[in-house]
Amino acid sequence: MQTCPRACWRYSLKILFYLTIITSSLFIFSAGEYRCGSMECDYFEADVSDKASLQRGLSTYMNYCYGCHSLKYSRYKRVAEDLLIPLEMYENNLIFDGSKIGELMEISLTKEDAINWLGAYPPDLTLEARLRRPDWIYTYLRNYYPDSSRPYGVNNRVYQNVNMPHVLEDMQNNLSESQYDQVIYDLTNFMTYVADPSAEQRKRIGTYVLLFLIIFTAFAYMTYREFKKDLK
Amino acid sequence: MSENTIGKKSLDWVDKRFPVIDLFERHLSKYYSPSNINIWYLFGFLLLIVLVMQILTGLWLMMNYTNTAEGAFSSIEYIMRDVDYGWLIRYMHAGGASAFFALIYLHMFRGMMYGSYQKPRELIWVGGWFVYVLLCAEGFTGYVLPWGQMSFWAAQVIISLVGSIPYFGEDLAIWIRGDYIVSGITLSRLFAFHVVLLPILIIAVVFFHILALHEIGSNNPDGIDVKKHTDQDGVPLDAKPFFPYDITHDFYALGVFLLIFCTVIFFFPEGGGYIIEYVNYEPANPLSTPAHIVPSWYYTPFYAMLRAIDFPLFGLTAKFLGFVVMAAGIAIFAALPWLDRSPVKSIKYKGIFSKVFLAGFVISFFVLAYLGSVPPTETKNMLAKVFTFLYFAYFLLMPFYTRFEKCKPVPERVGDTA
Repeated sequence: MQTCPRACWRYSLKILFYLTIITSSLFIFSAGEYRCGSMECDYFEADVSDKASLQRGLSTYMNYCYGCHSLKYSRYKRVAEDLLIPLEMYENNLIFDGSKIGELMEISLTKEDAINWLGAYPPDLTLEARLRRPDWIYTYLRNYYPDSSRPYGVNNRVYQNVNMPHVLEDMQNNLSESQYDQVIYDLTNFMTYVADPSAEQRKRIGTYVLLFLIIFTAFAYMTYREFKKDLK
Repeated sequence: MSENTIGKKSLDWVDKRFPVIDLFERHLSKYYSPSNINIWYLFGFLLLIVLVMQILTGLWLMMNYTNTAEGAFSSIEYIMRDVDYGWLIRYMHAGGASAFFALIYLHMFRGMMYGSYQKPRELIWVGGWFVYVLLCAEGFTGYVLPWGQMSFWAAQVIISLVGSIPYFGEDLAIWIRGDYIVSGITLSRLFAFHVVLLPILIIAVVFFHILALHEIGSNNPDGIDVKKHTDQDGVPLDAKPFFPYDITHDFYALGVFLLIFCTVIFFFPEGGGYIIEYVNYEPANPLSTPAHIVPSWYYTPFYAMLRAIDFPLFGLTAKFLGFVVMAAGIAIFAALPWLDRSPVKSIKYKGIFSKVFLAGFVISFFVLAYLGSVPPTETKNMLAKVFTFLYFAYFLLMPFYTRFEKCKPVPERVGDTA
């Protein structure tokens, strides 16, 4: 009774057929443009359940990035709790300006000073991993190269003529390539976490929601089928 | 139920004062729908559910949202991080907007395919079209509220279109913005529209839409008038009561819809940048224009039409003409009942031209949607022109091809072969 009649299927199939042709032909038109500046982005897959990696990333961030780049939409306490760091330990080691643990992660660098010293105000990076995507950050931080024409003597293959100096230069020089890659992986992983701190909770709840919905839909289907029998 | 139970007594008490039983019968248990309706007839119910969801999630978002240029962006992050389950409410609302448009496009396409706009359902169609227009306004105003880069620049582009109207356009644009550029003043007035005026209008027109539908009843894939053949009690023979037969089907559909919807909002809440644009994670900055300004996916067909018109004509600017064509692309749906001169309703019995033009319409809609979402090039602009033409050809040539094409005979009753 309520099923899609033959003609309906035929039209649906026809439309699907046209759509396939269109989308495939459009891919031919859309010429590739690199998402990571002059190159393809390197492969990066975040694992925000790896708390050790997030903790290492946090410590790199707080020691190398946080002087200029705030995380002002995030709170110290939330990061400490999500990364399983005891609050007292966090307060003693990772809060530098006497802020309370419940406060937002703002920095003391003022806009005026930044413009005087650096020529620009370094952006807040709480949402950077959502804005530019994690693979961009991962690729960007691993693609600084020496360029004497630039004020800091470095340039970047992903972000041409970037204003930011290569703050991890010492680290890159002193570590092996794979060790350095691991540092950047952890840092990017942390930035992915801080851009979307509810991701883990979201996926956990989502699994239960889908399980419930499967049961709901099964019962709804059986009810529907039962009533449909009347109509035969 | 026996005569004197509490339930029966209280129902009687209420029914003497308010016609609950009559309403239940008229709109549910004795409201008949054709026995041959198919999956295309499920979207109206789903749209109603999504409307309720948007109102509820919107209400809760509003409790923590700040409608100022200084506070809007960070209040969204406050909702995402500090409000309990705020992320869920926001993802439901943002994903709900995309679902709303996906469903309404399917719902509209059903009407076009089966001629549901034809006599005597013209007002149902026009009412539904008006809901769609209001929804476009609601979607646009809501999109501005997070006050990210794309929010700001989308508002700037769309409102500047009004400025292209000859003579008084610029003044009108300033009047709408309340400022010379999009600013906090614009934000708070769009907020007021988004949370008060537009939702009230949408609810009112949806109410009208359903009332008009329940007066006449649903069309069906064959376009057969099921009210022609009734039993001695006046009950249509080729129909079934909405309650319980359609409602159980609708709940099954709701389960399937929610499975898809929840997979998206829990596991892919940004929808690959289509539900929440990545660029919008940067706060609005009037001094820096993003490289590509793209509207949400559900407006891209019309955005492509706007860009397709890149030549001035009759002393009118290209921008104004593009604006007119874009508006016409949305407005022309309302004229469908009077453009279609076919003696039959459903595409199943219409002639070859109707089929070809409808297919052309669908193809042009999708191609324009794609073209509106990518940066323009010479070739793509040319394509946009061709497909804008094809899009309008479906509507404007309809009075001719529907009148002269050869239609198949429509069966008298459901299940008959004519």
